[in-house]
Amino acid sequence: MSLGVYSAWAKVRTNRYLFASTFLNGSNFEYNIDPKKILLGRAFIVIFYGLFMLFSNILGLNILSYILLTIFLLSLPWLIKQAIKFKFKTISYRNIRFDYRGESRDFYILIFIFISLSLMFGLIYNILPIEYTLIRVVMVIFGFIYLLSFIYKRFKELIINNVYYGKTQFNLNIETKDVAKIFFKTALAATLLIIILFTVGIFISISLQTIFHLSVSEVKVVINILGALFYMLFLSFIKGVVDGSISNLIRNSVTLGTAKFKGEIDSIKLGFISLTNILILIFSLGLLYPYAKIRYLKEKIENTYFACENFDKFVSNNINKDSGVLGEETVDFFDIDIGI
Amino acid sequence: MKILVKFYDGKSSKEHMVFVKFSKDRFEIEDFNIKVDIKDIEISSRLGSTPRVIQLPDGSRCKISDNNKLDRILRDIGYKQSLIHQIESSWRFAVGSLVIVIFFIIFMLTAGADYTSKFLADILPKDTLVYISQKSLEELDKEYFQKSRLSDDEKRRVKKSFHLIGDYRYQILFRSSKTLGANAFALPDGRIVILDDLIELDRSKNYYGVLGILAHEKAHIDNRHSIRILIKNSIAISIMGYITDDISLLATMLPSLMITAKYSREFEKEADIYAKNRLKELNISTKYLAYIFKEIDKRVESKGVKSVPAWLLTHPSTPDRIKFFMDN
Repeated sequence: MSLGVYSAWAKVRTNRYLFASTFLNGSNFEYNIDPKKILLGRAFIVIFYGLFMLFSNILGLNILSYILLTIFLLSLPWLIKQAIKFKFKTISYRNIRFDYRGESRDFYILIFIFISLSLMFGLIYNILPIEYTLIRVVMVIFGFIYLLSFIYKRFKELIINNVYYGKTQFNLNIETKDVAKIFFKTALAATLLIIILFTVGIFISISLQTIFHLSVSEVKVVINILGALFYMLFLSFIKGVVDGSISNLIRNSVTLGTAKFKGEIDSIKLGFISLTNILILIFSLGLLYPYAKIRYLKEKIENTYFACENFDKFVSNNINKDSGVLGEETVDFFDIDIGI
Repeated sequence: MKILVKFYDGKSSKEHMVFVKFSKDRFEIEDFNIKVDIKDIEISSRLGSTPRVIQLPDGSRCKISDNNKLDRILRDIGYKQSLIHQIESSWRFAVGSLVIVIFFIIFMLTAGADYTSKFLADILPKDTLVYISQKSLEELDKEYFQKSRLSDDEKRRVKKSFHLIGDYRYQILFRSSKTLGANAFALPDGRIVILDDLIELDRSKNYYGVLGILAHEKAHIDNRHSIRILIKNSIAISIMGYITDDISLLATMLPSLMITAKYSREFEKEADIYAKNRLKELNISTKYLAYIFKEIDKRVESKGVKSVPAWLLTHPSTPDRIKFFMDN
């Protein structure tokens, strides 16, 4: 038994294959990382997590475990930054590396803004008298989506505007209202879809009782199972649609030097791919996961274009020093989706 | 031996189409006047149909799309290559590992989970069992249980009946519940909670039906079923989560539920068999026990929660249990 030690090698090989198979304007990407580094990062996380469990669950030294937890939470923005840096530094294209030069400080600021805005939002909501139901509902829907869009926009800018290809910087220019528009549209479509699903559900339960003569309890079971299934399908559909629309928005607003990108993803189609992927996963008990993943990625990447006339102008910054792998592995280990 | 490659110098993103020359100990790119020892270059292992990368010591790189030709050249000059591509591109290896993985998962979910849960449950200290039981009982008392309506005499008679099979290590607690109805629970530290509604279903004057129920709960305690099921379920959920990754956690919910329900059914069956055997040893008919299940079945049916599919039930179906205890 390798006890998962070799999964670092497997991870690198999978990523190498994915990047090497991604061609942009005739050239493919390169993924360069020594698996031993990933292993090191993992070992650190396991030790940290092990210490935490040891202190809290076995030795009962709660104070020590709280200290560890505080250290972890405080370093989380830094860890996320490290993860992003690592993700970009390991990729190269035409033998020129990508780089990320975002500052930890900006991550702390963004999280501070997010927390304080959320608190303010909650405060205002609670201060408003209950009689103003309409205002409260409108505030919840519009205010929350707008807040989310604002934070999302700032996060994407923080990431993309600090990415370099060689010496050339990426530049993202989006407006909060563009992001909010996508979220609003999705929320509206989702509400409509839910109403339709409910109507269909009622229709099915009535016809089960009248045509198939099932008892109320049997109908309940059928509807519960169908409901859970459709809920999953619905969620994954919405997830795909949002991903498609947001990806298009970002691709259409980003430039590398003077060269532009273009995203022509059919977001409804992406939603359907994401939906059918869930069915594929259910019926294969998860074994067709690679097929589902590639199917989704392919649709996204094949509809991304990069309009660059002259590829020869990008120059390396000559720093090929590898950054620490700690961040990436932490973020992977704790399953935090940084969603780039 | 020459082969056409794309050359990148690592300083700019410019691409050059050049011929490179391999010989036994040298690697040359004439156009750029590069001559290096063959030991100093790094050739990436073949990976699907993706272009292979030759890494030069100065940071420049070549990419080769014609993998077969490169393989031939490398073989001819005696360059040592990793076997990994041959393994990866073999259908036999792929299907073979898939079969191994599937069998391994099945093994982990069955014998592996069995062994681990039994092993861990056996080494758990008594203190832990007492702690878990106490916490569960407090919670149940707060949320679901009320005081028992039974008279002291009835309680005494139930206890007397139980003493045919159990000793001082077990303790019977009497409760009633509006929501849980006719039911009984085994706490891992040896306490058995029995609800009034269940006792009232017993036709036998000597509480022989209840004795069957208590024997069933005793089997749960003796074999540490509740702890084992806890461990087994965590194993099943972690395995399902691990093999299917995060996004499909929802998608594998149903299979996970089926697995945990199956574990539970197995333990219930085991406890039923124990109860039947104990009653037989004491020459007590199991029909009183069957009668209790019949009554439960009637009530459940009238309430209308009968039609949960068999593979999602945590207990064997009540008609099956009635049949099991009716057969002698």
